[in-house]
Amino acid sequence: MSNQNIKPINTGEIKEMLNRQKGKMKRYLSFCAHCSLCADSCFLYRAHNRDPQYMPSYKVIQSLGKLYKKRGEADRRLLTEIKGIVWRNCVLCGRCYCPIGIHIPSMIAFARSICRSQDVYPQGDEASSESWL
Amino acid sequence: MYDLIEGPFLSLAFIIFVLGLLYQGSRFFQLTRKKEWIAPPLPGAEKRVKKSVGQFIIDGLASVKGTLWKTDPLMMIVTSAFHVCLILAPIFLLAHNVLLDQSWGIGLWSFPESFTDWLTIVVLICVAFFLMRRLFLARVRAITSFYDYFVLLIAAAPFLTGYLAYHQWFDYRTVMILHILTAELMLITVPFTKLGHMLFFFLYRFLIGSEYSFTRGSRTW
Repeated sequence: MSNQNIKPINTGEIKEMLNRQKGKMKRYLSFCAHCSLCADSCFLYRAHNRDPQYMPSYKVIQSLGKLYKKRGEADRRLLTEIKGIVWRNCVLCGRCYCPIGIHIPSMIAFARSICRSQDVYPQGDEASSESWL
Repeated sequence: MYDLIEGPFLSLAFIIFVLGLLYQGSRFFQLTRKKEWIAPPLPGAEKRVKKSVGQFIIDGLASVKGTLWKTDPLMMIVTSAFHVCLILAPIFLLAHNVLLDQSWGIGLWSFPESFTDWLTIVVLICVAFFLMRRLFLARVRAITSFYDYFVLLIAAAPFLTGYLAYHQWFDYRTVMILHILTAELMLITVPFTKLGHMLFFFLYRFLIGSEYSFTRGSRTW
């Protein structure tokens, strides 16, 4: 297996990354009206029988939202969970549409950056693995 | 009590509302000062093709197919009606304009009272629709927390108490106090909660760089 199970999680680094983007990202999160109108703009949501876990807002709330809620105090389990959300459940095609104008792809991309900073990212052989979540 | 909430409290609520929106607006421009592109602009994309009015309308109607008006028309009708009535009812309410006139000698043109009464009813029906959506639609329930119900209550309470006050149901004085207090709470919370989409809806619309905005947009988050 890779070094994903070896390197300890550096919460200080996560906190620093979260703080650097706090102005933008926290505003995005706090102004989301939780209306679910972004759902149908996601082809994965439509392709998975309209399963709410593929909804763009759900993905953002469960990944970046959780990281901000925990103030960066993330463990490997949480980051692995987030990895599944931001890589498997989202292909970052950038087609998601928020009627309020929240830029969802930048939030998913940021969540990916945080995971990547801790060496949490999909390995070549698990690109389509269902065991992430 | 009544004098306090109608006087200093109301002024304070308006000051927080205006300053809060100005602060959030200025922060938005600060945070978007650096231009970002989601995808680099295609060569020649800046060139605008001149269209006839007819073609413009035809293209506009065709593009509706890809919008929420096509995917969720009921929600779009309800949410549009809700937001239009929510803004119009308090601004053009006769009683509010009479109070404005008495206090500052200014007053806007007012709708007939029966009309604003109907606008209020529309707002309340829409709120009931949103509540049902939150309770029974799986995709909305998946992202709903207690806070979402609370925000919906903040938005609905001034209209519910205003309706009760106008029809003089229950104790008028108590209902009026509740009406003013809930309206003040709504004003204070707009800039700092998800009700802030009142401001950001318009800012994003013009500034986000995507095909969803009115303009090409050069500032994004």
